[in-house]
Amino acid sequence: DGAAVLPAPQNLSVRSVNMKHVLTWSPVIVPEEIIHYSVEYQGEYESLYMSHIWIPSSWCSPTQRPECDITEDITATVSYSLRVRATLGSLTSAWSTLKHRFNQNSTILTPPRMEITMDGFHLLIKLEDLGPHFEFFVSYWRKEPGAKEHVKVVRPGVLPVYLEMVEPGAAYCVKARTFVKAIGRHSAFSQPECVKVQGEALPL
Amino acid sequence: QEFQFGPCRVEGVVLQKLWQAFWAVKDIVQAQDNITSVQLLRKEVLQNVPETESCHLIHALLRFYVNTVFKSYRDKAVEFGILKSFSILANNFFVIVSKLQASQEKMFSTRKTARRRFLLFHRAFKQLDREAAVTKAFGEMDILLSWMEKFYQL
Repeated sequence: DGAAVLPAPQNLSVRSVNMKHVLTWSPVIVPEEIIHYSVEYQGEYESLYMSHIWIPSSWCSPTQRPECDITEDITATVSYSLRVRATLGSLTSAWSTLKHRFNQNSTILTPPRMEITMDGFHLLIKLEDLGPHFEFFVSYWRKEPGAKEHVKVVRPGVLPVYLEMVEPGAAYCVKARTFVKAIGRHSAFSQPECVKVQGEALPL
Repeated sequence: QEFQFGPCRVEGVVLQKLWQAFWAVKDIVQAQDNITSVQLLRKEVLQNVPETESCHLIHALLRFYVNTVFKSYRDKAVEFGILKSFSILANNFFVIVSKLQASQEKMFSTRKTARRRFLLFHRAFKQLDREAAVTKAFGEMDILLSWMEKFYQL
């Protein structure tokens, strides 16, 4: 019947890094028109027991951008279905559903950025604040043959970290990785960073 | 952030999120419960539960919530516009039940006494009109979360 049909968004995918999840799709193009999108989700429970019910996303029902931060919608370590549709005035496209369900346990965990400084005779570590999900395993040692490696677990919100008393003239190295209890996974270690303490080494 | 129900450990559930989800809907949900003389999760069900029984009991209770209470309450959740909180609670209870499934099966000794406690709850549920019972059980989730909190370690 020649009625205008709005194409459904294509190429849905989720980009998830350090427990921040963003759903993206290819924009629907209609020259000189502004397209709005609506995003909805279903947790595993809904899919199993109430599959006709979808929940509007917190931030993207509607949105004009071809992406949606769904971090606040993913609130359990179960698989989620996600769908998007386009709207132009009274025209609405069909829903496009993410081909593979998304589970936050697939998020990419990157080694944490860190900064090592001295505070008097203390080694001070500033770690990237990645949010309440993240603990840090900080490993540090004195840069000399046979030195013992120490490990410190840093809980969320306990930054910066004082490591230990250091000796003048000595060098110390530090590396760190993140751990996310919600998904039981950790990142790779960051590259070790070393610092030399000012002053003369103490006589033996 | 993990639950330790006696020998059963459950990681990956943030209790604070469950509390936030329930607080967001508490008034709406509890306002629907007109039977004030009955409490399903009463003292005899949850008080002085030995650690060794806690795994069985919480598994039985949460499985009942997942398979019966949430399932029956879903249309009301749509009606009241509380799907977001409903989803947070349902999916996280679903995670806990799935994770407890394996470990609680291995423990036979404490099943009988834990079962008796669950049956107290279940019998009280059955004695009410179905819709009233589901509404009351959903509204009593704060009692359940408070009890679960005792087994939660940050």
